Amino acid sequence: MGTFLVRRVCLGLLTLFAVSVVTFLMFFALPRDPAAAMCPKNCDAQRLERVRDELGLNDPKPVQYLRYFKGVFAGRDGCPAPCLGYSYVNNEPVRDTFARTLPVTLSIVIPAAALWLALGIGLGMLSALRRGTVFDRLAIGFSLSGASMQLYFVGGVLLLVFVYTLKVLPYPHYTPLLDDPLAWLTALVLPWCTLAFLFSAVYARLARAQMLETMSEDFVRTARAKGLPERLVVRRHVLRAAITPLVTAAGLDVGTALGGTVITETTFGFRGLGRTAIDAVRDGDLPTIMATVLLAAAFIIVANIVVDALYTRIDPRVRLR
Amino acid sequence: MRRELTAAVLLTLVAGLGACTNNTKTDDDLGVDTNRQASGAIATDPKDSQGPAAEVPGAAKGGTVTVIRQTKIAHLDPQRAYSFVGLNASQLYARRLTTYKDDGQGHVTLVGDLATTPGTDVNKDCKTWRFTVKDGVKFEDGSAITARDIAYGIARSFDLSLTGGPTYIQEWLADSPQFDTKFDFKSNKTGLPPGLTVPDDKTLQLTFAKPHCDLPFAASLPATAPVPAAKDTGTQYDAKPVSSGPYKITKNEAGTQLTMERNTAWDPATDPVRHQYPDAFVWSFGPDPVTQTNRIITDGGADQTAVSWNGVDPSLVSKVVGDTALKDRILQAPTPQHFTLTINNQRVTDLKVRQALNYAIDRDGLIKTLGGATFAAPVTTLMPPATIGWKQYDAYPAGKSGDPAKAKELLGGATKELVLAFADDATFQALSTQLAGNLEKAGFKITLKAIPADSFLDETKKRDNPWDLYIGSWGADWPSGAAILPVLYDGRAIKDGGSNNGASYLNAPALNAEFDRVLALPVERQGDEWAKLDEKIMREYAPVVPLYVQVMFTLHGSRVHGVFIDSIFGSPQFVNTYVK
Amino acid sequence: MSMTPLEPAAPHELATRSPGRMAWRRLRRDRTALVSGVVSVLLVVVALAAPLIRLAYGVGPQDDFKDDLDRYGMPYGISGGISGAHWFGLEPGQGRDLFMQMVYGMRTSLGIAFAAALMTTVVGVLLGIVAGYLGGWVDAILNWVTDVTLALPFLIFTLAVIRPLELHFYGPREAVPGWFRVVVLISLFTAFGWTTTARLVRGQVLSLREREFVEAAKAGGARVPRILLRELLPNLGAPILVAFSLAIPAYITGEAALSFLGIGMLEPTPDFGRTIFRSLNYLQTDPAYVLFPGVTIFVLVLAFNLFGDALRDALDPKSQR
Repeated sequence: MGTFLVRRVCLGLLTLFAVSVVTFLMFFALPRDPAAAMCPKNCDAQRLERVRDELGLNDPKPVQYLRYFKGVFAGRDGCPAPCLGYSYVNNEPVRDTFARTLPVTLSIVIPAAALWLALGIGLGMLSALRRGTVFDRLAIGFSLSGASMQLYFVGGVLLLVFVYTLKVLPYPHYTPLLDDPLAWLTALVLPWCTLAFLFSAVYARLARAQMLETMSEDFVRTARAKGLPERLVVRRHVLRAAITPLVTAAGLDVGTALGGTVITETTFGFRGLGRTAIDAVRDGDLPTIMATVLLAAAFIIVANIVVDALYTRIDPRVRLR
Repeated sequence: MRRELTAAVLLTLVAGLGACTNNTKTDDDLGVDTNRQASGAIATDPKDSQGPAAEVPGAAKGGTVTVIRQTKIAHLDPQRAYSFVGLNASQLYARRLTTYKDDGQGHVTLVGDLATTPGTDVNKDCKTWRFTVKDGVKFEDGSAITARDIAYGIARSFDLSLTGGPTYIQEWLADSPQFDTKFDFKSNKTGLPPGLTVPDDKTLQLTFAKPHCDLPFAASLPATAPVPAAKDTGTQYDAKPVSSGPYKITKNEAGTQLTMERNTAWDPATDPVRHQYPDAFVWSFGPDPVTQTNRIITDGGADQTAVSWNGVDPSLVSKVVGDTALKDRILQAPTPQHFTLTINNQRVTDLKVRQALNYAIDRDGLIKTLGGATFAAPVTTLMPPATIGWKQYDAYPAGKSGDPAKAKELLGGATKELVLAFADDATFQALSTQLAGNLEKAGFKITLKAIPADSFLDETKKRDNPWDLYIGSWGADWPSGAAILPVLYDGRAIKDGGSNNGASYLNAPALNAEFDRVLALPVERQGDEWAKLDEKIMREYAPVVPLYVQVMFTLHGSRVHGVFIDSIFGSPQFVNTYVK
Repeated sequence: MSMTPLEPAAPHELATRSPGRMAWRRLRRDRTALVSGVVSVLLVVVALAAPLIRLAYGVGPQDDFKDDLDRYGMPYGISGGISGAHWFGLEPGQGRDLFMQMVYGMRTSLGIAFAAALMTTVVGVLLGIVAGYLGGWVDAILNWVTDVTLALPFLIFTLAVIRPLELHFYGPREAVPGWFRVVVLISLFTAFGWTTTARLVRGQVLSLREREFVEAAKAGGARVPRILLRELLPNLGAPILVAFSLAIPAYITGEAALSFLGIGMLEPTPDFGRTIFRSLNYLQTDPAYVLFPGVTIFVLVLAFNLFGDALRDALDPKSQR
């Protein structure tokens, strides 16, 4: 297990490096010339060239990359390490931006993920066990309706019903959990429900399919033939085997969502990592883009490591190498 | 399973049809006064410039006003603030040399703000302007504001790295568009640019090589706000500028929220226009116009004291207009933001073609595309109706829906191929699809070229841009033709890159001379002359197709009062705002 | 998913049928499959036959009827201007025929979704099987590439590259044809989408690899390609189909999400996602404008989902009826 972790962490760092290179190259493909954005009033060709020189945009790309890389970790004036870079657009270290936006995204994603996993896997498994019954039909009907809808559509309708028409909820306005737990809850309950409704569908379907698949497998039949009670068959054999792909999907989804839930944030008017990243691309704000992308990548990498580590626990047939 | 689903779908259908609408053809006129015209004057009586501002009847102290806006304010630094929101937000924390007394009905008087009068034309030749700083004006830390602090503000606007701000005063002082070559601020931070002098702590004098009778107007931009040299942090000053007005910036969460609280050092007795009723202003960034509109209509909690900056979304106008309960909470006025189908005169050199373009446009259709009368008003002049001296005329009368036959006639049966470039956001996608449709009906062949919205302006400002047509817009910095016609149509103002917004690249020496002639006239005589010149340019050159002026149509919460649409920039103005 | 239990087939019949025919037989007996299949095919036919429908209907997608709009750009008449000439009414503002916009828009959206789902599945399955079965350094490298791809944020990347690509391939005075963005979107969806399938398949292969039948085949001296194709692929059918069936609706939704961020298909190319996104604003003022595209996309996605599920049941010989 120890060597596994070391290996994966090293690989993860390598991945981060690759991501940063790709993002760096992508930035220079942006239609917006960073020099033009920085170029002062009455910008003409000579001035633009001076700005390019000053920004180091005329240096070879690897040199620029190294300089950037150093800036992220070593810091610079007005921005002690590790400030993750200084954003000229926001006029603050990216670290300060994160301190504000990361809690928003965490508050949206973590409870929502708990909700959608519990709802999805629960519904899926129950309906697999009771397949063909009315419950099965309703559960799968519910989950499929969710899967067939657009996030912003559901969000828009929920806002219209609960906030604008019935007025039972205030318009979502993020309040930190520790400042006012109730305000935090009322602001976030709609995005949680929306995400749970849409995402649980995927898990319900997957869970049901996996359960059915596993239940028809030989080792389950053997267990049944041995005379093991159905409950024990399910708990000892079916669940364990069926949950593997669910863990894969959950790890990916949660990891990705932590990197920013752009559509959810936009629909409900939150400013988390997602909106920050989109605005940064629009503004040509390299330090913010870079830091956001790297943070999002780090979430996904960690989620992956956790998923792989969980495999062994859940499914003894998988060996870690 | 299938049955339940069928039932669910049917239910949805029934619910939807239950809410079905029936829109009958009755033309209920909303009475948009799109021709609100500024009757502007420069205060001659020094009493007009004295504080305090008259109390707003019924006003009360206290409360927090929230301004909801889709995007953040680009610059807070007064020398860099130049967007409508920057100009109006800075009114709360940055006092200038001059400012407007505005009744929100188009009657404006330019008065002294930090200065005792809106400027003295020392030799009556518009070349030397003197301002005297009022007694009792202070920064937020309680220190007195001197002429030196104001001069320092003007000097730092020569710093090229402080991007974004207007350049009128710099160019006039240096007598050159390349003003930085005459004064290098970075290497001479204690010095002053040529022509700017501070004889004593109370007096500021600007001397120009050429007459600039519009200086009192130009001095109303926040670029003349004072900056304490000791607190100037260069480009980072933008995050938290020092206040000289009734509110100071206490918290700046970039891109999310900006909080302004009462500035106790501000003395109302010195201020002719501002009040200090609410405890705080919170600028909240992010929600789109649809969300803003819905929130204000709902009027819940903190939104009762909120104002929507971006206005009612076109999709919700019919709901807002139909709801009598909202009547008192609607703010509606035309803005000076003027949109044209700009013709690149370097490429489209045939006057007949430019005139044909003018005949071909269906203004009624394009206004419906944009969301109707509450969003845009048709215009056939180069200056928006809110300009001093403006007169209505239509050089190419084509009815409200365009005259494709007349356009075809002018083209003489030829099919003219043109490329129309547009910014690829939703509004301009729809608008240019609509315009291209009009033009094709009139015998043009149009290629639509999408340009990334965030680089569209930069690209069209390049002299050698490769397009024949593009949508241009201009919001005048003060309601005078001087801030519109020479800025946009004087060929000598063309630069290789960074020409003015929506540049048509028209360069007619005869016109250029006319601009010089009118600019040298006394301000009070310029209005009529600009109106005449406006018509002359359209009739003889047709450099653009005037399309529409934007209309501000917005809502505020039930407990916020005293908000009005200012007559200069057409945006919500907060100097009289109070909560009750 | 199927609700009608199949009668056990008589033994002698079984012996004469291939698995494919059996699946087809099961599918035909499944009423859910039948209905959802017919609906899916119908909508695909409508999309493909758009030009013919236009001829029969007599109105093109770009024809506008501004005279039928009031001063706020809202259509006159009942429920958004429904009439014999305009079956679904008119678009507010633009005044185009909603029915034609939807027919042509569906063609764009379905085309993108189908192509992207197909490419994604092919690439994902191939790489997933190879990685899972071969293991060793092949797995390590593919895994790492997967990690990097997963760690790159799709929306940010798309937002950043989509327009520079167009500027790169087309001259400044050349119109970018609608199909170019279609191709770019499909490529981007594929470049970012293959990993989900690949991971899922790899996880399954890791599980299957240790099974008796694979061990038996190995012991029997079977070569790698044979094991991959004959032993593993058939056993992966269920998860691949679930993934594929989820991919089509997911890409329809994904394409619509791009419109939400302003980087989807541009005017004047009709696009379902853009229509839905735009219509949502009119929820309170012109419900019919929201209802027609909203219900259609819901039915479309639901039909694909239901059919995918039914197909899974039918193809899986082990699932008990």
